[in-house]
Amino acid sequence: MNNNIVNRNDAKKLLLLASLTGKIMLKNGAETYRVEDTIERICKSRMNIKYADAFVTPTGIFVSLEYEEEMMTYLIRVKNIKIDLNKIDLVNQFSRDFVNSNMSPSEGIDKLKKINKIKNYSSKTKVLFGSLACAFFSLLFGGTIMDFLSTYIISLIVLITINKIDKFKMTFFLNNFIGASLASFLSLASTTIGFGENMDIIIIGSIMALVPGVAITNAIRDTISGDFISGLSRGMEAVFSALAIAFGVGFVLNIYFKGMI
Amino acid sequence: MSILIKFLFAFLSTIGFAILFDIPKKSIYKSGIAGALSWITFYIISSFFGSLIVGTFFASVVVGILGELLARHSKKPATVYIIPGIVPLVPGAGMYYTMLALVRKDFFTAINKGTETFFIAAAISLGIIISTSLSQSIKRVKYKS
Repeated sequence: MNNNIVNRNDAKKLLLLASLTGKIMLKNGAETYRVEDTIERICKSRMNIKYADAFVTPTGIFVSLEYEEEMMTYLIRVKNIKIDLNKIDLVNQFSRDFVNSNMSPSEGIDKLKKINKIKNYSSKTKVLFGSLACAFFSLLFGGTIMDFLSTYIISLIVLITINKIDKFKMTFFLNNFIGASLASFLSLASTTIGFGENMDIIIIGSIMALVPGVAITNAIRDTISGDFISGLSRGMEAVFSALAIAFGVGFVLNIYFKGMI
Repeated sequence: MSILIKFLFAFLSTIGFAILFDIPKKSIYKSGIAGALSWITFYIISSFFGSLIVGTFFASVVVGILGELLARHSKKPATVYIIPGIVPLVPGAGMYYTMLALVRKDFFTAINKGTETFFIAAAISLGIIISTSLSQSIKRVKYKS
């Protein structure tokens, strides 16, 4: 059947392909078990590979496989997790195709690199719709039309600022802190000048785009399915993102209640 | 009537988050429906039991089950539907009120709100876990025997 690993170089390329697949999935927010499963399936889909195993954490991937009594290992460091569900779907489809066909590893790597470059929506569309989501969320919480409008404008500003800050490669903690303090400062400003009506609802709505919902759920899912290191690592990410947001909001509110604004 | 309007708002809100998270284009409206149904579940159950935690739990079970079904139907990973659907349930409000109470040095309310926020986060994960592991074990039984 699929028997096209004939030399050491091909085996190396297969290993590289599997780790790259894992890296793209992990970077865009896939769960640990799905990444491990995909890597192992890709490695074991070729006949000459006797043993393959993967160990995945949110910050790094380790893969090793055995080819003609030689062990090969590859390690990939993963940074900057950013959620892009379209890429997870495309890579998932790709790995299924790769396993069921006779594609050579270098062909696969080329395809994978193409997938990695695909942009589903432009960043403008994402910012526009992301802030719309926050604005409708404020309506769900019982906001008025004015609250809706100010949440929309504020989250638009916050999301654009965060995208700009992202280019400086600061830590996620500072990003979230700045985003949350900007959101609460602008909400205070908008209620003070009488544009928005309920300060609470506007703040809650505009921090919604920052809240680490994915990290929280993935952390507990990983822990319960037995991936303890991944669970801890994602859990830390969730806790510290939440802390950063809380500090940002608290910082501005504290100044406000002391009467300094 | 009010429930219909809330359904619409939740639908639009979920779609917004779905685009923010780069969901595949064909799945947008499906994930919107999943998110809206889960929010309605949250709204009805939490006002019936008077507890945000119970409401969140059932809402995330609904999102999880719908996510698995839609994933099976359209051959996409379930995460694609689950992530946009749970973001509106994430306790942003709880975090905010905890912080507000801390700033006002009202530590009793802060502990109250903080604990509730933590349990809401746990309820989301528990709900997702129940539906995911159910579907995984169903798959295993189906294909192994």
